[in-house]
Amino acid sequence: MYQYDTIDKAMLADRSSEFRGQVARRLAGELTEDQFKPLRLMNGLYLQLHAYMLRVAIPYGSLNPAQLRKLAWIGRTYDKGYGHFTTRTNLQFHWIKLADTPDILDHLASVDMHAIQTSGNCIRNTTTDPYAGATAEEVDDPRVWAEAIRQWSTFHPEFSFLPRKFKIAITAAPKDRTAARVHDIGLVLKRARDGALGFEVIVGGGMGRTPYVGPTIREFLPVNRLLSYLEAILRVYNRHGRRDNIYKARIKILVAALGKDEFARQVEAEWAKIGEGADLPDTELARIRGAFAATAFEVLPAQSEAFEAAKASTPAFARFVRNNVKPHKKSGYGIVEVSLKGIGDTPGDATSEQMETVADLAEQYGLGDIRVTHEQNLVLPHVKLDDIPTVWAALRDAGIATPNINLVSDIIACPGLDYCALANARAIPIAQHIAEKFRDQDRAEKIGELKIKISGCINACGHHHVGHIGILGVDKKGEEFYQLTLGGSGAEDASVGSMLGPALPYEKVADAVDTLVDVYLRERQDGERFLDTFRRTGVTPFKEAVYADAH
Amino acid sequence: MPTLIELKDGVCRGAEDAFTHVADDQDMATGDVIVSLARFQSEGDGLLSEGRRVGVRLKAEEEAEVLAYDLPRLAVVALDFPKYRDGRAYTNARLLRERFKFAGQVRAVGDVLREQAGFMVRVGFDAFEPADDASANEWQAAARRYRHVYQRSADGRAPAFAEREA
Amino acid sequence: MKALTANRLTDGEVVFWKAGQWVERFADAQLWDDDDPAGVEAEAAAKNQPLVVVDAYLIDLIESEGLWAPLSYRERIRALGPSNHLHHGKQAEGGAVIEALQHAHGAARSTGRVNLIKRK
Repeated sequence: MYQYDTIDKAMLADRSSEFRGQVARRLAGELTEDQFKPLRLMNGLYLQLHAYMLRVAIPYGSLNPAQLRKLAWIGRTYDKGYGHFTTRTNLQFHWIKLADTPDILDHLASVDMHAIQTSGNCIRNTTTDPYAGATAEEVDDPRVWAEAIRQWSTFHPEFSFLPRKFKIAITAAPKDRTAARVHDIGLVLKRARDGALGFEVIVGGGMGRTPYVGPTIREFLPVNRLLSYLEAILRVYNRHGRRDNIYKARIKILVAALGKDEFARQVEAEWAKIGEGADLPDTELARIRGAFAATAFEVLPAQSEAFEAAKASTPAFARFVRNNVKPHKKSGYGIVEVSLKGIGDTPGDATSEQMETVADLAEQYGLGDIRVTHEQNLVLPHVKLDDIPTVWAALRDAGIATPNINLVSDIIACPGLDYCALANARAIPIAQHIAEKFRDQDRAEKIGELKIKISGCINACGHHHVGHIGILGVDKKGEEFYQLTLGGSGAEDASVGSMLGPALPYEKVADAVDTLVDVYLRERQDGERFLDTFRRTGVTPFKEAVYADAH
Repeated sequence: MPTLIELKDGVCRGAEDAFTHVADDQDMATGDVIVSLARFQSEGDGLLSEGRRVGVRLKAEEEAEVLAYDLPRLAVVALDFPKYRDGRAYTNARLLRERFKFAGQVRAVGDVLREQAGFMVRVGFDAFEPADDASANEWQAAARRYRHVYQRSADGRAPAFAEREA
Repeated sequence: MKALTANRLTDGEVVFWKAGQWVERFADAQLWDDDDPAGVEAEAAAKNQPLVVVDAYLIDLIESEGLWAPLSYRERIRALGPSNHLHHGKQAEGGAVIEALQHAHGAARSTGRVNLIKRK
C-alpha cells in the first residue's frame, strides 16, 4: 500500500491548521456563514438536519488497520459510535459538532487521512476496483493511477472551481465494479496486443437529473500520458461547462451538447498543445508502483483442507463462501466481502466495534489491507483460504457476515431524508423493508444477482438510475412517494433504467419489489439474472403485475 | 476603490495603482488605463500610440487566446472573477503565463477573496484587488500556507514528485 | 400556527425559539398564530444572531384536536431524529410527547390529520 511521506503529511498538517483558523474566525464572528460555508464544504463539513456531517475521504477506498481503528475511535469519541460508508467509498459521520472538527482533522491527519475535496466543485475522491491487487481479472493495478490522480488533483490550482463537482473512476478488470461508465470520467485499463498498457477514456457519464452512460472519446490512451490528457479534458470543461444552471453544469451536459466527436476533437486539440510536459515522470510512476507491488503473498496450495472441511460441515459457512468469497489471483487466497447490509440494518453503517473487528482481522489475517466498495460494503482482499473459517466466525459474531453480496438485500441507499438536507424522501427505511421481505436466504440465493439502489432525491447519490431496480424518493404534496425504474446497470453492461410507472406511496414499495421479483422468477429462462430477463421481456409484464396489485 | 496587492519576488506588498479602470461607458482617463477587450480592440492602437501603458480586462468567458498577438504590447491583463467560484480565470492566467509566456502583470479583479490566494498565485497571478479588504500580510500568509505542492503550474514551484527526486 | 427553528452554530443541534431563548425540544417551542406578527419579529431577531444559530426560519404547524405538529415530514424528522436509529436524536428521550410526534407520521400521510402534542 502507498505510504505517505513527509510531503504528503505536511500537506495534511497545513490543511488542518488552515481549517482550524477558519473555524476560529467563524466562531469569533470574523466570517459570516455565507463566507464560511464554502470553506467548511471544502473540508467535507455539511450542516444537515440534525447536526454537522463530516465526510472523510478514503482515497480509492483503501484503508489500513490503523486508519480504520482511528475512524472507529472518532465515531465513538465525537459521534454516536458509528460511521456511514458512501457510494464514493468515503465515510460520513452524521453527528459532528463544528467546534470539534479541527481536532478531528488533526486526529485524521495522524493516520494520513483527511476530508479534502469531499465536497465542492472540484475533483472528488477517485474510486477504483475494491478487488485491485487481488483479482486475477485485472490487467494491471489500477491503484497506481488512482494514487497518481489523488496527488495531481489535490489542491489543483486550475481545477478547484469547476462548473460542478467532478468524479473519476478507474477499473482494470473487464468486470466493472466501479460504475466507470456513469462517471464524469471513467478509465478502463487495457492491454494492447503488443503488451502496452492504455486507458479507454469514457467522458460524460453521470446520474442526477439527467442520466447518461458516457461515450468513449479515446479507445487507447498510453498510460504514461494520463495526466496531460486529464488536464486537457478538465480544461475544456472548466472553460466551456455551463455555469448558469446548476442542473446543467456537469460535464455530461457539455459532452451531450457538443456531441462526443466534437468534444473529443476539442480535447485532442488542447492535449496536443499541452504536450508531454504535463505528464508524471517515469521515476515517480515507478515509485508509486513500487508501493503497491510489495504485497507479501505466501506460496500456498490451491486447495485448503480447513476451508473445504468447514464448507462441508457448516452450511452457514458454505453459504457465506458462495456469496461473499471471491477468487484471488494467488492460489490459496480468497477475497472476502464484509457485508454492511445486515437484514434490517442501515446500508453502509458500521459501528465502531464492527470497524475494530474488521481492522483486527485485516491485521491478523488480511495483510493489513481493507477496501471500501461503492456498494457500501468492506472487503478484506487478501485472506488465506485456511483462515477464512476463522475470519467468517469473527465477522458473524460482529453481525457483518450476512451472506448477501450482490443479492437482493445488498442494497445501496443514500442517507436520504433521515439525515440529508437535500433529500425529498427517506431511503434507508425503504431498504430496510425490502431486506426484511427477502430475509429467507434460500429464496435470496434462488433469485440471484439483483441490484437495488435507492436515492432520496434526484441527485442520485444512491445510484438509482443504474439499479436493476432503482428507487427514487420524491415529495408529492408533502408526502413521500417513490418512482421505480427497471433495467439499469452501472457495470460493464451499463444502462439507465426505465420508468416502471406512476410513483408509489411509502408503504407499497417493498411489496412492489416483491411483485417484481415474482414476475422475474416466473419469466426467467436458463441462468438469466433479473436484469437479463427484464432486457428480454421489456417492462410490460412487470408493470402489469405491480399496478394490478396497486389498484 | 480596492487596494492593490502586488506579488514581487515572492513577497506581497500593498501598492499604488498606476492604472485606472475605465468602463466602456466612461470617458477615457488620462495616464495608464485598463479597458475592456472590446474597447481595446477599437481604441487600443490609439491609446498605445500616446505612449501610455495599457491593460485589458477579460471577462470570465473571454479566452486569453484572443490576446495572443497583442500581449507584447500590454502591461496588464486583468482577469475578472464575477463570483469567487467561477474558475475560468484560473485557466486564462495559466495559459497567459505558460503558453503565451506573458511577462506583464496578471491581475485578479472582481470577487477576489484571500481564501483563493494560494490558487491564484500558483496559476500566475501577480497582482490582486481583494474584495474582502485583505491586507498584504494576510494575502501573503494565505498564499504561502502550503509548504508543498503536488502539481506543476505557472509559478515554477517544484511539485512533490520533483522534491522527492532531489 | 407557526414555530421558529434553526440549527445551533457550534454543534448543529436543531433548536426552537422560546421567548428569546433557543430550546432543544419541539415540545418547548413557542407557537404563534399564522397572522401574529410576533413570529416574524422573532425570525428577524433570530437572523440577527449569526454567532448563535444558522438559517433560522418559521415552520408551519397543523392542528388536530388541539394538538400540534410540524406540517412537513422533513420538519418532523428534524424534531425527532432519524427514523432508522430510534435511539439517536431527540426521540431518544422518549416520553408521551415524542411518541405523539412519532404517531403523527402515519396520521399525516394517510388522512392528513394529526394527533400531536398539546399546545402549551
